[in-house]
Amino acid sequence: MSRSLATRIAGISDTKAWPWLLLAPSLLLVFAVIIYPTISGIDLSFRQMRLNRMDLGIGYVGLRHYLALLDDPIFWISLQNTAVWVFGTVALELACGLVIAVALDYELPGMRVMSVIILLPWFLPLVVAGNIWALMLDSRLGVINAALQGLGVIEGFKAWFADPDWALPAAILVETWHGFPFFGLLLMAGLKGIPSELYEAAAVDGAGFWHRFIHIQLPGLRMIIVATVVLRAISLMNSPELLLILTGGGPGRSTQVLSLYAFQKAYREFNFGYAGALSVVMFLLLMTCSWLYVRYSNALRED
Amino acid sequence: MRRSRLERSAIYAIAAAFTFFAAFPVLWALNISLKFERDIITRHISLLPIPATLTNYIAIWTQSNLPDLMWNSAVATFFTVVICVFAGTLGAYSLSRLQFRGRKNVLLFFLILRMFPVVLMIIPLFIIMRQAGLLDTRIGLALAYTAFLLPIFIWMMKGFFDAIPIELEEAARIDGCTRLGAMWRVILPLVRGGLWACAVFIGIAAWNEYLFALMLTTSSGSRTWPVGLQLMVGEFQLPWGALSAGGILSILPVLALFAVVQRSMVRGLAQGAVKG
Repeated sequence: MSRSLATRIAGISDTKAWPWLLLAPSLLLVFAVIIYPTISGIDLSFRQMRLNRMDLGIGYVGLRHYLALLDDPIFWISLQNTAVWVFGTVALELACGLVIAVALDYELPGMRVMSVIILLPWFLPLVVAGNIWALMLDSRLGVINAALQGLGVIEGFKAWFADPDWALPAAILVETWHGFPFFGLLLMAGLKGIPSELYEAAAVDGAGFWHRFIHIQLPGLRMIIVATVVLRAISLMNSPELLLILTGGGPGRSTQVLSLYAFQKAYREFNFGYAGALSVVMFLLLMTCSWLYVRYSNALRED
Repeated sequence: MRRSRLERSAIYAIAAAFTFFAAFPVLWALNISLKFERDIITRHISLLPIPATLTNYIAIWTQSNLPDLMWNSAVATFFTVVICVFAGTLGAYSLSRLQFRGRKNVLLFFLILRMFPVVLMIIPLFIIMRQAGLLDTRIGLALAYTAFLLPIFIWMMKGFFDAIPIELEEAARIDGCTRLGAMWRVILPLVRGGLWACAVFIGIAAWNEYLFALMLTTSSGSRTWPVGLQLMVGEFQLPWGALSAGGILSILPVLALFAVVQRSMVRGLAQGAVKG
């Protein structure tokens, strides 16, 4: 019986429907778990939907949530914090990634092992990464506090995540640790693609390190830098996980970002309608980024 | 290329500094996990666990529900990988090897799906899963994970398919293979390495996932380890030593898998992310 089934599938495989048949399971899945939820999420943003106040019904409220957004100071603070969080982290990660990619491109002995170790943080779970850093920055037992005090940088142990001025920068540091390997990895791959003739010609001209970096490596990496920056900005905008683990948005509202605010509105207050409206704002921001990505990267070239 | 000794030393110093930066937090957690509690709660912080102990590991393994949590994660991860490998491999093959109208649009569609906001999906998923009776189940969680992992899987896998010369398949077809035969007997065996790498990548991401799990699991019957461990940090205030031990135990599978397929996984990531 299984033999006849295989023959029958083989028969279908030579028809025009075959490519779509192979795609069917994937398309079915993404419609069920991405497209449909996203559409009903947008629909929710125009409705009253409080899971803990179902007596209010789930009728349409038009633009009420969106108008409420405009008057919500926390929304504006979140927007501002999101900008700092995304730009700050991406800038730091890109800088670190560039430095490490250029360094590892020398391929000196031992650097293969180093590159594997450097890649590691990218694959570690945020729950563990966040808590290790929370421990290292702890105001009573933190090794970083001890080191900084030993160096005379700070006078006493500091509660980094309890200080509204320092909580966001500290979180950016932790996220940078987690994310810079992503840049390092992709930029390293990009450097491998630069033809060696370019280096040789520059060497003949007696060009030094800076000349090589500015005139060969940086231009050669331009497309990859655009792509990685946009992709990473999207994922940072999208995931509230680390801030949820480290600070929960506090102290005060100093680390409240848009994705976290939306998540908490849904998870803590069960206000799905309002959370939906916040998410739709994020959706618009993300789709702008995604348009930039498709427009300016070569992701779809040659296809 | 000739490079001065000074330049080489400077480069080594930079690379070593970043290696230290990357590795130190993990080593520190290992250090804490091997210490006695009295040596942790002190201002005289020592860089090595002397005297060392395994008490913390024994405590977290026997006195918390970490084994159950990890088992739930393993089951959800397993289903996620199975779903992604089955659906995604066929889809990626189709997008890489077959010519048909609309191919480019489908490809673009999967690319943009990767950028959909997670929170916008999570809220309705919660409602849908509750209606379907999938809330607080491991299979429901696995389905939710495919939402953000399947598009990445397809893009990574397509890169591996693209790397195989089209002539191989044409030769098989001339020899009388059907398209199914060519795919099953010629192409799939050749991408085995890439398939392993993509599967491991998806597996690690599912194993580590926190946000969906937090929203979609409510009881210890399906709760995954990241959610459980975070609960131990926040609500139960477990001692640091035991928590570090728990963290180390839960990243062991990640480290092991990463070590095994790291080389081809890196290649797949580079192709799938930017196609440099």
